[in-house]
Amino acid sequence: MSLLRELARNKVLFLMIAPALLFFTLFSYIPMVGVYYAFTNYSFEGGLFGSRFVGFDNFEFLFGSGQLATLTRNTILYNVVFIVLGNVLQLICAVFLAELPGKIFKKASQSVMFLPFFISFVLVGAFVLNLFSSENGVIPTLLTQLGLPEYDFYMHTAPWKYIIVFFHIWKGLGYGTVIYLAAIMAIGDEYYEAAKIDGANIFQRIRRITIPMLVPTFILLILLSLGGILKGQFDLFYQIIGQNGMLFESTDIIDTYVYRSLAVNFDIGMGTAAGLFQSLFGLILVLGVNYVIRRTNEDYALF
Amino acid sequence: MNRKIAKRMSAFVPLTLTAALLAACSGGGSGSGLSNNGAASPSAGGNDGSSPSASAPAADSGKPDTSKKVELVWYVLGDAHQDTPKVLAEWNKRLEKDLNTTVKLNFTSWNEWQSKYNLLLASGEKVDMLFASSWADFYKYAKQGAFMDLTGLLPKYAPQTWEEVPKDDWDTATVGGKIYAVPNTNPEYTPNGIVYREDWRQELGLPEIKDLDSIEAYLDGVKKGKPGVTPIGGKAWNEVYTLFTDYYDFKVYGGESGVIASTSYDKPRDIVVYPFTSQFEEFVKRMKTWADRGFWASNTLSSQTEAGDLIKAGTGAVYWRNAPGAGGFITDVSKTNPDYKLGYFPYTRFHNYAIPTLPMANAMAVPKSAANPERSLMVLDKLRNDPTYFRLMTYGIEGTHYSIEADGKTIVTPPAGATVAKDWKNYDIASWGWRYKPNMLDQKGSWEGLKALNEEFAAEAKPNIFDPITMDYAPVKAEQAAVNQVIKQYGQPLMMGLVKDPDKALETYRSKLKAAGVDKILAYVQEQANAYFDEKGIQ
Amino acid sequence: MKIKTEKSTLVFNAAGYTFLTILSLLCLLPFLVIIIGSLTSENEIIAEGFKLIPDRFSFDAYRAMFTNPIQIYRAYEVTILVTVVGTALGLFLTSMAGYVLSRKDFKFRNGLSFYIYFTTLFSGGLIPWYILIVNYLNLKDNYMVLVIPGLLSAWNLILMKNFMKSIPDSIVESAKIDGAGDFAIYLKLILPLSTPGLATIGLFMALAYWNDWFTANLFITSEHKFPLQFLLYKILASASVLKTNIAGNLSPDFKPPTETLKMATAVVVTGPIILLYPFLQRYFVKGLTIGAVKG
Repeated sequence: MSLLRELARNKVLFLMIAPALLFFTLFSYIPMVGVYYAFTNYSFEGGLFGSRFVGFDNFEFLFGSGQLATLTRNTILYNVVFIVLGNVLQLICAVFLAELPGKIFKKASQSVMFLPFFISFVLVGAFVLNLFSSENGVIPTLLTQLGLPEYDFYMHTAPWKYIIVFFHIWKGLGYGTVIYLAAIMAIGDEYYEAAKIDGANIFQRIRRITIPMLVPTFILLILLSLGGILKGQFDLFYQIIGQNGMLFESTDIIDTYVYRSLAVNFDIGMGTAAGLFQSLFGLILVLGVNYVIRRTNEDYALF
Repeated sequence: MNRKIAKRMSAFVPLTLTAALLAACSGGGSGSGLSNNGAASPSAGGNDGSSPSASAPAADSGKPDTSKKVELVWYVLGDAHQDTPKVLAEWNKRLEKDLNTTVKLNFTSWNEWQSKYNLLLASGEKVDMLFASSWADFYKYAKQGAFMDLTGLLPKYAPQTWEEVPKDDWDTATVGGKIYAVPNTNPEYTPNGIVYREDWRQELGLPEIKDLDSIEAYLDGVKKGKPGVTPIGGKAWNEVYTLFTDYYDFKVYGGESGVIASTSYDKPRDIVVYPFTSQFEEFVKRMKTWADRGFWASNTLSSQTEAGDLIKAGTGAVYWRNAPGAGGFITDVSKTNPDYKLGYFPYTRFHNYAIPTLPMANAMAVPKSAANPERSLMVLDKLRNDPTYFRLMTYGIEGTHYSIEADGKTIVTPPAGATVAKDWKNYDIASWGWRYKPNMLDQKGSWEGLKALNEEFAAEAKPNIFDPITMDYAPVKAEQAAVNQVIKQYGQPLMMGLVKDPDKALETYRSKLKAAGVDKILAYVQEQANAYFDEKGIQ
Repeated sequence: MKIKTEKSTLVFNAAGYTFLTILSLLCLLPFLVIIIGSLTSENEIIAEGFKLIPDRFSFDAYRAMFTNPIQIYRAYEVTILVTVVGTALGLFLTSMAGYVLSRKDFKFRNGLSFYIYFTTLFSGGLIPWYILIVNYLNLKDNYMVLVIPGLLSAWNLILMKNFMKSIPDSIVESAKIDGAGDFAIYLKLILPLSTPGLATIGLFMALAYWNDWFTANLFITSEHKFPLQFLLYKILASASVLKTNIAGNLSPDFKPPTETLKMATAVVVTGPIILLYPFLQRYFVKGLTIGAVKG
């Protein structure tokens, strides 16, 4: 038995990882029986296993809506932009923070970039309203002062895509930067020393050493995010757009749609069904991408 | 970030959302205002003078056994006051002596209370009693078996309550022939209406508000005469939606989230999908002109600001409130802005009748997982009927939190003779579930107008024939979900007059409703409602 | 060797300073607005929106928050305790497991990585999780519930594994030849070499514990056990509910402001934790690996 032999040989390693495995088994795997809710007509009398099995009925409100394709597309596009643009910006910030002289400036700006993380989406929503309101919003007022024609943001759907993307990236900037900064710190100095001796300038050093060394982290973070590509940032969308049907065309994602559908008469089965759809989609995507990466370079793969 | 939390929530979406729910449409709140133009037969009001103790039959069959000491767990909505532990300790001291019982009172807190409520019931946690309400999904939960059947327990363990609650009230707490909750006994009226600036109306020489045209004239006058004021500021949806239903006398099923309605009080069996009516078409065209004239802002559907806050800030002129809510708001403004004069126009005056609030709008129920339902009912019986218990739990400690006027019926806060810190907080608790009119006290200094209004409503009251129809929409839940979202996406902007072309938007709205399966819901509601009307002999 | 400042470096520095300054301003400005907003009178915010220089200052929001100061101090205590204990314990478990998964000679590392990652994709939802904690683990209204469910997150664990992967295998191998056990290698060699990673994950954990109001909302019923975020969130929620019809029948004389309260909450919550960050920055230093190999 290879497993037993492996267990005996690496006893200590298994003991070290045991608490984590136990934790995830207890708090994640055992409650997973709950996905069965998605296939039942829930009743309090029956509970999880006593409720009537209804097959895929609970998925009907998603697939029967005729909107699922649009919603899925919106959700994926938003997430792809969030993930790619967010990571690229965080990476750039980290590189600057690692290479620039000027300790105080770096420390200060690094701390400052963390501030948005603490600003709740409720407040972000309030900001947005103050900035774009047709009544005395900062930006429309500015536009008219510049002599530009009046523009009512709340009557057009187009700008909201950018507004949402902006605030999402803004909020996560400091958080993501730290990860890349830590990764840069782990790169051995010897590489840079050697490059300097070879006469490489700073741009060359970044391109040849820093960036390649950060690729695994970059890929990892993207892989980690892909699993949740159909979920997402409900608070962000809800606090900025609210119940404004005028703007749904370009700002509706699966989470907000499900929320509107079930807000009035919440159904455990249907709620679980929506989550299951999102999870399955994410799983297939991650497995696929991970497979491709594994074929290309095993070190970069997630598992 | 909140990845951990996000993960949990994704499979249980509305959780992320209930905070939003509260903020968005004042959740159950607006529901309570919009949908329970309530059910009590008016006789409930006249009845409460009967003396129940004289005929309490349970007494002779021997008092229930209380030899075992029991600690009950109760849940009520909202948050504890900072003095709640003190009050509760006092209360429990008495209770332990009288019934050998103590109550651990838990609060759902206002954030995410719907999801917590759902969890308490779904998890089978040991809870002995909790607040229940028609606007907190009581009928759905009852149908799905979340509550304990109290029919057999009530006469024995809550004899006084069993006697004094009128049969019609018990009926509203009955699902499938079984009583699942103890409704409160406090006949009241909660019709929709608008609070407005009476001082501005007079100053600008606008007509008295008595119908839709005078409302329009008022909004127009304010818009033109008061620069910088948006007549209905912030989120104007409640104001406009209630205006629509009450002006045309539509009786909507399922609160503001429904599109199925009886066309009027007098024609309960004429059930339609209201967006397909000519009245709706007329209304949305009118609202388009209102929106174009700037009666509300184009961001109104995104705004989270209460129109009432804008009145206080001096930039708003109209606020939707139900009658008691208006009373509270006007009392409040009289303190914050003593120079204002506010008026209130109840929408009941469009058709000159009022419907009492459904008793089941506020009640106490026992979850099926309760460990001590009998003892819980005994405590509730005591709480409702013993004035000492009732006052202590509801109003706090006499002398510390309030004092009583010489008439014995009015409470004064802060109590007479007390030196009050700047941040004095009235003692309050969501006592709605155990209210019993004879034990309730009036509050000194509240808006005088409410009394007159209540008399007006009582004089024109008609029995509630709509709210007791208990539907859980289970057979059509997929269609209901689809329709709910269509209302939000297409219906609301149309009703708020924000669309460019109302004709085209109306057409889209109607076709989307059809596609979402609204006809199936219509058939379901018709069937359920007619069955109820047959049973009650309503034509 | 003398390092002269090359032209390219100057260009780089100029670009970097400009870039970071703009981003910093974008992040700082809203926070200033929040601080000022929290000190503005409620009516002014509602009527005229945010401003950098308000007409009237007001401490109403802070007064509303501190009506019961003892409770706030108590909540700070709970939060700090939970954050410190949770982060310390969580960091230990995460780094230990992360180290095992980063060992290339550990046969099951891919399988177990997947086992852990999979939990980020699927979840049984809130209800079974709640039932587990309340009915089976009996943790309702227990301080432990604030700590335990947040101890490990798959995301942090995988990130940790990634950080540790960059430590050269040669270090482990040479230590093994010297006869060191796996746990000793982890404790004495790997941990000191992973400080940037540990600081990062530690920061994330501390932030998660600090910001977590959700667990308390579900499981904590005694007021004296409320953590700070939940207490503030609760104050805010009840302030807004007082305006809706649901609470139309509650009529306290004291109606707290809501708009400015939102902002005051952000200020009170952010203050202490932001101090942690500059403290952690000292661990973001280069060249640890080199030193270890040489030493």
